[in-house]
Amino acid sequence: MILRKIALAFAVTTALSGAAYAADTIKIGLSGPFTGGSSSMGVSMRDGAKLAIEEINKAGGVLGKKLEVVERDDEGKNEVGVQVAQELINKEQVTATVGFINTGVALASQRFYQEAEIPVMNNVATGSIITQQFAPPKEKANYVFRTSANDTIQSAMIVDEAITRQGFKKPAILADSTNYGQLGREDLEKALAAKGVKAVATEKFNIKDTDMTAQLLRAKEAGADVILTYGIGPELAQIANGMAKLGWKVPLVGSWTLSMASYIDNAGPNGDGALMPQTFIQVPNTPKRKAFIEAYQKAYNIERMPSPVSAAQGYDSVYLLAAAIKQAGGTDGKKIREALENLKEKVEGVVTVYDRPYTAADHEAISANIPVFGLVKGGKVVPAHPEDIAGDKAVRFKPKAS
Amino acid sequence: MQILLQLIVSGIAVGMIYAVIAFGYQLTFATSKTLNFGQGEALMLGALVGLSVVPFTGYWLMLPIVLVFGLMQGSVVETLGVRQAIKTKSEAGWIMATIALGIIFQNLAENIWGRDDLRFPSPLPESPISVGGVNVLPMEVLVVVGALAMMLAVELFNRRSIYGKAVVATSNDRDAAGLMGINTGVVITFSYALSSMAAAFAGVLVAPVTLTGATMGSALGLKAFAVAIIGGLSSGLGVVVGGLILGITETMTGFYVSTGYKDVPGLILLLLVLSFKPSGLFGKATIKKV
Repeated sequence: MILRKIALAFAVTTALSGAAYAADTIKIGLSGPFTGGSSSMGVSMRDGAKLAIEEINKAGGVLGKKLEVVERDDEGKNEVGVQVAQELINKEQVTATVGFINTGVALASQRFYQEAEIPVMNNVATGSIITQQFAPPKEKANYVFRTSANDTIQSAMIVDEAITRQGFKKPAILADSTNYGQLGREDLEKALAAKGVKAVATEKFNIKDTDMTAQLLRAKEAGADVILTYGIGPELAQIANGMAKLGWKVPLVGSWTLSMASYIDNAGPNGDGALMPQTFIQVPNTPKRKAFIEAYQKAYNIERMPSPVSAAQGYDSVYLLAAAIKQAGGTDGKKIREALENLKEKVEGVVTVYDRPYTAADHEAISANIPVFGLVKGGKVVPAHPEDIAGDKAVRFKPKAS
Repeated sequence: MQILLQLIVSGIAVGMIYAVIAFGYQLTFATSKTLNFGQGEALMLGALVGLSVVPFTGYWLMLPIVLVFGLMQGSVVETLGVRQAIKTKSEAGWIMATIALGIIFQNLAENIWGRDDLRFPSPLPESPISVGGVNVLPMEVLVVVGALAMMLAVELFNRRSIYGKAVVATSNDRDAAGLMGINTGVVITFSYALSSMAAAFAGVLVAPVTLTGATMGSALGLKAFAVAIIGGLSSGLGVVVGGLILGITETMTGFYVSTGYKDVPGLILLLLVLSFKPSGLFGKATIKKV
């Protein structure tokens, strides 16, 4: 009898302390590759997100509670991503999750959030299909949101820059053999067709390929005057190095991965001149961006961010989420989703000022007019066309939904 | 014509990278009839150790340090992974053990050097040399020359020195060599040390051309394995020819057929060799006595 009382008392106290603990913080899951080929993006995203969480907590948290980040390394692998998603949902019981660098990981993991009705913010992955996977009418409500520029936007921008703005006539496409590269190649071909242009050569390469001679010679023989790329840093660097070796240099215009540190560092001087769409370039042209860059440099003691785009988008995703939690008045996933789809507060982020970024039908915060072109120059990404971000164009807004 | 030559030259450069790794497979197979499936990882470790040492010593002084490191790393692999399997005449134990050690080395490297690809400073100018319109990087020439020189040195050592003769004797007939008073256990350890040394040397040789990182070895190690099978595991000349064949078919197929099918003809060749001449193009056919 006494034993039972003690047991009961014990159970009650643990339950109480558990409840008290849960009431103290709001748990935010964070999933990204902190090791592996895409780790420079994953680490920057994480550091950007954590910076935002620190700032929010310093200012008193959300609904009087502190945000607590639960970060897990998904290694850029689909199966690890699935494990991480299940752990964050079932064991950690997160309120929402931010993250995903790799489109494959996002597609494999987010179905668990969808089923659990927990909002998930894709802040770096760009596959066009990500926000469409559970879009109505397939599902009643879509729990997947995004703060990065998707591949449909990027490929159209790449083609626009190369063909319309720079006036190149004979593009060659070089894409890697992964999902990312091949889906991107399809998007590029569609965007070229819309302008009535056909690529003179469409070549493929594998991850870890060290020799690009065959691909480059084919493009050269076809008379290409520009190379459009969809791949990731190390192999893109081998393309730039391969061109230097062949003594043939045409401009590289490609997806945002041309801004990866692994491209810039491994290509060295050969990599200069590459152009890619960027939602954020490490230039302090607004007070918000200046503060963000300085806070990041101070917190992590570095001069150049490994991936400024990932850092900025990670940072913004947390602020959007915090605003939605505040509006929802609690941690119920359904209410947070509804709040995100009808966000009343204007959120000033690094990339843009988010004024009702999402609706029930549109889960993309970044519209085609927001990214600008970055240019690799002297080991850094600088604005390709400074006039694009000058004056009142420094912050570009998503057009209002009509 | 100029394009054909360019493709061949690039193919040779890639092929020699494969050949020099395949040479390491061949060294241990000769003495112990076992292979180090962590050969790619030995190459990776060599390259990364080299990368860490280079700032203090410069490229050329770094070489002997990396060679010594390779020797030690190979002895470790043999001691931990292979010796026991040979002792118990296990058919598959050494396969699992060397693969496992390879994975451990890769994880170790990820923890020490991270998983990003790093740039290896080139000791030679990075602008290409142009001969009759065919471009080649000075470093690629060094890869070819260095690989050949190393293979030649190992061959000379085996043929001329008394220790080398012990290695050759062990590869010809391990039991007979043992009866002649050769400590075949030491010879096998030595051949593993030598093979990892070759891999480590290959690592610092190719690192300025490829990229350097914890995962650089896996793809190269696999290609080199195909080369060793095509050329024949018992022939030093075989791996050179096998490497050149694979390297040149890759670039040629990439250009004349499609870059998406670049790797296919090499693999078809591998299958053909396995069906018609399983000991490899240059291998000696042996009958296994049971």
